[in-house]
Amino acid sequence: MEKVDVVIVGGGLAGLSCAWNLAGGELTVLVLERGDFSGSKNVTGGRIYVGPIRRFMPELWEQAPFERHVTKEALTLMARDSSTTFQLSSQKMNQHPYPSYTILRSTFDRWFADKVMEKGAYVVPEKRVDGLLMENGRVVGVVTGEEEIAAEVVVAADGVLSFLAEKAGLRKPFEPRHLAVGLKEVIQLPREKIEDRFGLRDDEGMAHLFVGSLTKGMMGGGFLYTNLESISLGMVIGIEAINKRKPRDEVYQFLDEFKESSEITKLIEGGTLVEYSAHVIPEGGITFMPRLYSEGILVVGDAAGFGLNMLITVRGMEYAIASGVMAAEAIKKARKKGDFSSRSLASYEDLLRKSFLLKELEAFRHVPAFLKNPRWFNHYPQAVCDLYEKVMWVDENPKSKLSSTAYRALRKNILNVRGIMDILKLRRI
Amino acid sequence: MNILVLVKQVPDVEAIIRAQSDTKLDIENKYALNFFDEFAVEEALRIKEKLGDGKVTVATLGSRKAADALRRGIAMGADEAFQIEDPALEEVDGYTTARTLAKFIEGQDYDVILCGKQAIDDDSGAVGPALAQLLGIPCLTSIVELEIDGDKKEVIATREIEGGREIVTCPLPALFTAQKGLNEPRIPQVAGVMKAMKAQIAKIDLKALGLSPEDVKPKTKILKYYPPKKRPPVKMIEKEFPKNVEALVKLLREQEKVI
Amino acid sequence: MAGIWIFVEQRDGVIRKVSMELLSGGRGLASTLGEEVAAVLFGDGVGFLAEELSKYTDTVYVIDDPLYHHYSADSYGESLAKMVRECNPSILLGGSTFMGRDLFPWLACRLATGYAADCIDLTIGDDKGIIAKRPMYGGKVLADVTFSHVRPQMATVRPNVFTLKSPDGEKNGEIIRIEPKINPTAIRTRVERVEKTSTDRVDLTEADIVVAAGRGIKGPENFHIIEELAEVINATVGTTRAVVDNQWRDHDDQIGKSGKVISPKLYMAFGISGAIHHTMGIDTSNVIVAVDKNPNSLIFTYADYGIVGDLFQIVPALTAEFKKALSE
Ligand SMILES: Cc1cc2nc3c(=O)[nH]c(=O)nc-3n(C[C@H](O)[C@H](O)[C@H](O)COP(=O)(O)OP(=O)(O)OC[C@H]3O[C@@H](n4cnc5c(N)ncnc54)[C@H](O)[C@@H]3O)c2cc1C
Ligand SMILES: Cc1cc2nc3c(=O)[nH]c(=O)nc-3n(C[C@H](O)[C@H](O)[C@H](O)COP(=O)(O)OP(=O)(O)OC[C@H]3O[C@@H](n4cnc5c(N)ncnc54)[C@H](O)[C@@H]3O)c2cc1C
Ligand SMILES: Nc1ncnc2c1ncn2[C@@H]1O[C@H](COP(=O)(O)O)[C@@H](O)[C@H]1O
Repeated sequence: MEKVDVVIVGGGLAGLSCAWNLAGGELTVLVLERGDFSGSKNVTGGRIYVGPIRRFMPELWEQAPFERHVTKEALTLMARDSSTTFQLSSQKMNQHPYPSYTILRSTFDRWFADKVMEKGAYVVPEKRVDGLLMENGRVVGVVTGEEEIAAEVVVAADGVLSFLAEKAGLRKPFEPRHLAVGLKEVIQLPREKIEDRFGLRDDEGMAHLFVGSLTKGMMGGGFLYTNLESISLGMVIGIEAINKRKPRDEVYQFLDEFKESSEITKLIEGGTLVEYSAHVIPEGGITFMPRLYSEGILVVGDAAGFGLNMLITVRGMEYAIASGVMAAEAIKKARKKGDFSSRSLASYEDLLRKSFLLKELEAFRHVPAFLKNPRWFNHYPQAVCDLYEKVMWVDENPKSKLSSTAYRALRKNILNVRGIMDILKLRRI
Repeated sequence: MNILVLVKQVPDVEAIIRAQSDTKLDIENKYALNFFDEFAVEEALRIKEKLGDGKVTVATLGSRKAADALRRGIAMGADEAFQIEDPALEEVDGYTTARTLAKFIEGQDYDVILCGKQAIDDDSGAVGPALAQLLGIPCLTSIVELEIDGDKKEVIATREIEGGREIVTCPLPALFTAQKGLNEPRIPQVAGVMKAMKAQIAKIDLKALGLSPEDVKPKTKILKYYPPKKRPPVKMIEKEFPKNVEALVKLLREQEKVI
Repeated sequence: MAGIWIFVEQRDGVIRKVSMELLSGGRGLASTLGEEVAAVLFGDGVGFLAEELSKYTDTVYVIDDPLYHHYSADSYGESLAKMVRECNPSILLGGSTFMGRDLFPWLACRLATGYAADCIDLTIGDDKGIIAKRPMYGGKVLADVTFSHVRPQMATVRPNVFTLKSPDGEKNGEIIRIEPKINPTAIRTRVERVEKTSTDRVDLTEADIVVAAGRGIKGPENFHIIEELAEVINATVGTTRAVVDNQWRDHDDQIGKSGKVISPKLYMAFGISGAIHHTMGIDTSNVIVAVDKNPNSLIFTYADYGIVGDLFQIVPALTAEFKKALSE
């Protein structure tokens, strides 16, 4: 039987970050990834915030193959026959060090895996881990195909449906409300076209989010990110909400309709579809977080449910990276003590609690429940668009005072019992 | 039985490749062992396993990334690896590759040499037959089955030809190029990959082969690279069935005139 | 004497279509260069074919001998090498077939000359040398290849690159019979037998029309609807690797990176998702039609014409419609 110090299951951002921080020292580190290469199975929308994680792997970010740094933000509220867009162009965001970048995982993760190997860890693709080796309630290794690999500690970085966390008894089975589904297309377009269409220069990029009629009242939204030579376009929809629809629609139809909306068609015109993917997203928030460690095992990234859907942004990549790094710290500590027991690995959770990661998840504890309210996805975007339309509308009738137009609309759509309740709930997030 | 497999690291199918200028390609950093070479390595290992003895050597000509092809070979189970690397070999064609490899092979004792049917970068399929010619050994390209009689030093190979298969015998030593269908390449074991990543790889330069840069001047030259013509966007025939079928037939007959 | 030589491939007394295309194309190049065209024909009992070829070329070199019944680089290559050394043609062309791609690289090396494989166009440059256009990286880029002063310039050319033209006025070329000066023991590969895998249909690589079905066809028992369509429009049937891996069809029928590269005038794909590995094989097709039930299928970003629909409904209707149209 092959024996190593650390086996990391899953060569996504979480697993690779953990490996990178362990590599090059005295530990033998092995990453097992079931895809053909790191990045081949990984889906993200497209934006990574480097701010919170820059200090972790400073030398890496310098050369990282990001796509564009985001300098323009847009949010579109979509109603039945209209839409309202808020847009921000920020000089501050256009200054080094840039706060966020668009990213394509098939490129980024593959590159990252190469770096991790250069640093001395083993990254072995085409290896699906099928089981855990257990001894007296302790995790002592993994099984992949016909091979058993023994390890001092196993890191479960195997993504949202983490089979390892479940096997190790760290997580309860999922319910539909804990998950959302994300659909994404990558549409290739020439660089100049993208820069023209979105008013970008050089490597500047745009992040554009959509809420409203596109999800037909279901929890979720749409996103569009500009890459160097392609556009990432997709949607996220809560699985519980989809299940409730009768008859159940094929999810790809929503994306199709979104693509055909007047807001989108112009933006992707002439592009070539080069990639289509679907992936699950954790939506449970901190209330559905699994136990993060046990005897000889740690859970990181999506596998630990470290994701945040805040209606207009999905965040998970920074959490994946940060948790990977902290798991590495905890492992190094445990190694010094020669103790990989649950008690020793508890330092992982301490690190997380002190970091932005669990503080943010704690702060946004109520978001999942809040987002179950369908009015955020149909009623309010419609109300905003209707109001704006009214304000701008001029016809043969004399226009009434702006304040009374606004007041009437507010009375009708927002300042009623339900509306006030919704606003009160807003305070909790 | 001594078996040599010639392998090459090439941009994989996913990699974006574009003409940067007339003479330079912009190749995305995604490389893998040549698709057809995997069959070649696998076949070599199977022969060795079946006969119960022998040695499998992998060799490549190329710099930097080339060694990764050898590592994949070792991970799968090859016993030994050589990398031929020289600044004068930056620009090669099928002829010079074969010539250099032939020099490397001369004087060594291989019963079976395996190549891929073609390298999916240049898509030539030239090196195998050229090499066999230089070595003066028989060559069977595009094989999908290989049966070796170790004692008689003879093989029966099946090769794909248009509309059928040719069953051919030939004496050893001989060179074969592997077509898909020959076998199902194994995925290396974790232990194999770890061993391969640590393996030392022997490097050989032109001088060691007794060749001068003059000897390896290519016979062909690439004047210019350019992108293939883009297909016009698709025209969807949106009519309801069966009107869409009628429209398509009409289109193909009257407008495109292909039927 | 310089000249353009076409290696004419025949199996069982039938000349490959691509060889005839090359004779047409070769005549075009020859007139640009002011050179002559010769056909080279090897085989056993192929004298009658030499007569036929003489209508197209100035010269036909023929070896007609039992030793040449089957192809082997040892016989064909050795003899051709000798002939080239004697006559010094400036250009030597062959089809990009299994035989061509076995023989040409072997021979180019024997003659220490250059070789361009699988070309999709040949033109003459300013220096009177050939510019060979060929796809690389599975068709992601094209390259123009030249031969730095070495002669002959050797290339294999894909089927359907040059159009077949009947000879303009019969050439009545000279037929020169060459005696094989080859020792039978020098032929080390021996063809034991040939197994036919497909019917008498034109090979995929040479077909004018190809109809293909992918995993959407659901099972081997359903392929008959594709075959019926092929029958009506005189097409060859192809498929995807997914289907071949399921053993619904032979690998001989596989189109794509690890199968065959085709360049028909019309390619019709039914229930094929359009993975890059597959589309690499159809890049040089003239017109591509796709039918798939998923409007998001990648194949629709690739096709010229698309129909979103159920192939089990569309294919039989197409067959009927073509039948009707063709009988009118
Ligand atoms: C549509 C969509 C949009 C999103 N948008 C954003 C965004 O804009 N910004 C953001 O920050 N986050 C976003 N996210 C979330 C973000 O992508 C994830 O949080 C992040 O990818 C998590 O990284 P990870 O390494 O934990 O998991 P993954 O990237 O899922 O990696 C897990 C890896 O484990 C491998 N694996 C699984 N099981 C096994 C096994 N048994 N054996 C071996 N290997 C295994 C998988 O192949 C995979 O490579 C989005 C997600 C989706 C789906
Ligand atoms: C290294 C490598 C080499 C490869 N080489 C090749 C190669 O040479 N050739 C090749 O083809 N592939 C090759 N592949 C495989 C390739 O990636 C794809 O997996 C394969 O082409 C998919 O085949 P498919 O389109 O038949 O199946 P799928 O991708 O499963 O597509 C089936 C399609 O049928 C549609 N469909 C289903 N039912 C119906 C219906 N009733 N009516 C209409 N449409 C329907 C579906 O919507 C879908 O689009 C290779 C892969 C690799 C990794
Ligand atoms: N640089 C190289 N080093 C080793 N083997 C090679 C090299 N180039 C080509 N080959 C072998 O020759 C086969 C055909 O390559 P090609 O002629 O380039 O299409 C490949 O599949 C390899 O087996």
